[in-house]
Amino acid sequence: MIAASAQSIARRVAARQDSAGAVVAAAIERARAVQSRTNAFTEILPEHALARAHALDAALDAGAAPGPLCGVPVVIKDNICTTAGHTTCASRILAGYRSPFDATAVARLAAAGAVVIAKANMDEFGMGSSTERSAYGPASHPTASGRVPGGSSGGSAIAVASGVVPIALGSDTGGSIRQPAAFCGVVGLKPTYGRVSRLGLVAYASSLDQIGPIAGSVADAALALRVIAGHDPADATSLPDAAADMSQPLGRAPASLRVGVVGPEATEGLHPGVRAALDRAAGALRDAGAHLVPVQMPHAEHAIAAYYLIATAEASSNLARFDGVRFGRRAALGPLDGIDELYTRSRSEGFGPEVTRRVLLGTFALSSGYADQYYGRALRARRLIKGDYDAAFAHGCHALLTPVTPGPAFMIGEKTSDPLSMYLQDAFTVGVNLAGLPALSLPMGTTPDRGQELPVGVQLVGPPMGEPALLAIAALVENAGTSHA
Amino acid sequence: MAQVVATRAIIGMEVHVELAARSKVFCAAPSPAAWPEPDATDGEEAGPNTMVDHLTMGLPGSLPTLNGRAVRDAVAVGLALGCQINRRTRWDRKSYFYPDMPKNYQISQHQEPLCVGGRVEVPTLRADGLCDPSAPPTGRWVRVRRAHLEEDAGKLLHEAPGGSAIGCSILDLNRAGTALLEIVTEPDLTSAQDAVALGTWLRDVCRGLGVTRGVLQRGHMRFEPNINTELTLSDGRTVRTPVVEVKNLNSLRAVRGAIEHELREQPRRLAADGLVMRPGAKTTRGWDERSAATVLQREKEEAADYRYFPDPDLPPAELSAAWVEGVRASVGELPLEWSRRAVRQLGLSGVEAAQLGPEPGLRGLFEAAVAHATGLGCPAERAARAVAVATLQSLARRANAQTAARHEKLGSGAAPVGAWELGLSGAQVGDVAAMREAGELSAQNADALLGLLCQGEHRGADARRLAQERGLLSHRDQDAMAQWVTRAIQEHPAAAADVRAGKEAALGRLVGAVMKLSGGTADGAQARGALLAALR
Repeated sequence: MIAASAQSIARRVAARQDSAGAVVAAAIERARAVQSRTNAFTEILPEHALARAHALDAALDAGAAPGPLCGVPVVIKDNICTTAGHTTCASRILAGYRSPFDATAVARLAAAGAVVIAKANMDEFGMGSSTERSAYGPASHPTASGRVPGGSSGGSAIAVASGVVPIALGSDTGGSIRQPAAFCGVVGLKPTYGRVSRLGLVAYASSLDQIGPIAGSVADAALALRVIAGHDPADATSLPDAAADMSQPLGRAPASLRVGVVGPEATEGLHPGVRAALDRAAGALRDAGAHLVPVQMPHAEHAIAAYYLIATAEASSNLARFDGVRFGRRAALGPLDGIDELYTRSRSEGFGPEVTRRVLLGTFALSSGYADQYYGRALRARRLIKGDYDAAFAHGCHALLTPVTPGPAFMIGEKTSDPLSMYLQDAFTVGVNLAGLPALSLPMGTTPDRGQELPVGVQLVGPPMGEPALLAIAALVENAGTSHA
Repeated sequence: MAQVVATRAIIGMEVHVELAARSKVFCAAPSPAAWPEPDATDGEEAGPNTMVDHLTMGLPGSLPTLNGRAVRDAVAVGLALGCQINRRTRWDRKSYFYPDMPKNYQISQHQEPLCVGGRVEVPTLRADGLCDPSAPPTGRWVRVRRAHLEEDAGKLLHEAPGGSAIGCSILDLNRAGTALLEIVTEPDLTSAQDAVALGTWLRDVCRGLGVTRGVLQRGHMRFEPNINTELTLSDGRTVRTPVVEVKNLNSLRAVRGAIEHELREQPRRLAADGLVMRPGAKTTRGWDERSAATVLQREKEEAADYRYFPDPDLPPAELSAAWVEGVRASVGELPLEWSRRAVRQLGLSGVEAAQLGPEPGLRGLFEAAVAHATGLGCPAERAARAVAVATLQSLARRANAQTAARHEKLGSGAAPVGAWELGLSGAQVGDVAAMREAGELSAQNADALLGLLCQGEHRGADARRLAQERGLLSHRDQDAMAQWVTRAIQEHPAAAADVRAGKEAALGRLVGAVMKLSGGTADGAQARGALLAALR
């Protein structure tokens, strides 16, 4: 199912064995076919993509130096600004919105020779874990009918899992890259906070958001990260040494490798297929010579509450700009309506129910008299959770092995009426965002569930700026899922 | 109710200063408050919504980055106000929906402002409104609670430019995001006069530091006094009237008017409605220039919930001790201190020092010219006197003429021309002053020479050579002077008789006659001496 790797495409296009035009045209054909089955895209961009591909071919024929992703078709989540097509965050409130600028990550992909062929469907503004909360309608799982692809970067995961493109960009605020990657059986990487510029990522929760790649292999994820990582003076939270270590190709895993695993109490209630995947990964790591050491995460139980207070508080402020005044959708007004009606109606009509719920929750969490009790306590919990990770890494762990999700992809509609059970999907992923760490979701075989065979994944979490080691460790056990299955 | 036997004014001040950084405080869009200004008319010639970028418009995906110049300017003012500088300072979002605020939150400083805890001594004002360098210190101090950096809002207009009615509102975001320094004092001011004096001092300081153009009618500084009164009643009790905050005053005249109005009205309001100060009793009023009265804007200060929280897009700014000390060193002597020293050390008159001190461009020209003339051997005090005359009279007069011409052409909003902007260097003005003090130039010819140097074709010319070429240098020729004196006495026998009779006032007419006969080249003092010698 997975497309040819980005590395091989770029190599063949650079060697003029393939033309970028032919590669991109084939990707667009696949995108159209996948779109009719899965609704993975908010927009397919054939004219833009083919023009870009032909320009690349002309430049390469004229002797231009090929970039590391030359001719590689890519898909961009719809909350990442592109001058090609629209940028709507899958929200009615941004219907028809065109960004006048490219996100830094998109500009870096383009400079490396990649060609954007489509914008990916998602949960509105990144708020959801199933890609059911989209103004464009829900997306569905690439292989298991009736199931969700995960979210919020569901469209990006489908695009890679269905072989449309080898690399797609997603964004991860509480697991939005890793969870759909696990559900769809592909690699998802959430970089260290500040590794990839957030300029052009439409903010959901600024202190947690990070752009990252979804890819068909660890090697392609590493290649994509190398291209998009780097300091950006236009993002004040961009790390000064964001490009450090990323210039090297995928290296060897650290000698005397130590991987932390959380105790069995943390994995209670897990789907047996997820537990089996953890066991397979642990076995493969042991086979590769790693020492598995138990680690404690005493504050992990507070992660969901802290995350949903901090994320919604920031969202309530970040989404205030969607008011119908300067851009996006404005509600029709009567002759006697004033600015308050303009705001209220444009926002009520423009935001879906989950976004409305989170904006209200966040507004409450920040309001006078409650801010310390909710937002303030969440910040304190965040520090404790970060302390748990710091302690684990201080004890010499190169990475932690954890589940990505409690179970495999659930049924469409199964959790939409129960927000809390949807939020619990994120129990293993949000801590990483609260702590600003890099983490990778790695496919680890499949599991049967209610009559369908579904992908499962495991999560590897690294210390700040630990992506090179994390990717190297992931490469060690990348094929364990299939060989042990 | 008992009679009011005494009224004490309690006044605090909030001042917003538009900083003159070239770009806005959190993005690279040009600032309409920049100094040197982007064009002669303050960026208002630029069409609406042209000084904007992605962040100014609040576009999705845009991010703020901090303007270092704005931080430097804010710290410089804080140091001038005697504040402590917080070396770690944080940016908070202040949330409220309003169309002139594109993100619907303002990036400000709530918890950890840049500057805290300063104090300023209120100066005495001269009758002409300038700070008086000759007056003794007042000993009345105003504490400064805080000074912090934030972004300004855009402008929302409800009628068309020119005043005609429209069925919608017009939004101009050129000003949105401009760096704004908010200074908040404790309620230590006790009169409208002191509030105006503090405002004047603050404007001089901010302009002297180069942090704002400080043109009040352009909104570069906006004042918001908080006013109430403590009334002592005939039965010995004291009561306080509710605080009134008067918003957005953009002239010191309005500051005076609004405070005086409130101090008159508040005891009357209390007598009428019996309302005293208590939490929630604060009201907001505006100033109506035409009726010279404050007008109610908001009845009760609702406990507005701005939902402050630290802006996750901006890490806290960390200032090193060395950097703060560098800014402190650049602050140097404040305008009023300079003026006081000029009176004391250079013998300038109060009015001269008061005019030179607050005008950084003029002061720079003055100091360069005095240094040049002193280098030529002219004693410092005499050089200072001559340069003061050259700058504050000859050059100021020509600058005023150019300003009038510019206003004629571009409208009264155009920026004025300063005497330091006429193209003269300190060396040229210093040369003129030295020649004047050496008796080589008459007052009239010194003025004429400065006038020539203002003309484009003489830009950069050597002042002495130009004076020679134009025959402006004084004749030291005794014979010629003797002839002019004889003729002057012959032509004005009545004046000569008056002088002989001891009426020295008549001497002026004879001196004028000598000057005229000499074609302006005679030295006035020399002529005076020669006339007296001839008549006694």
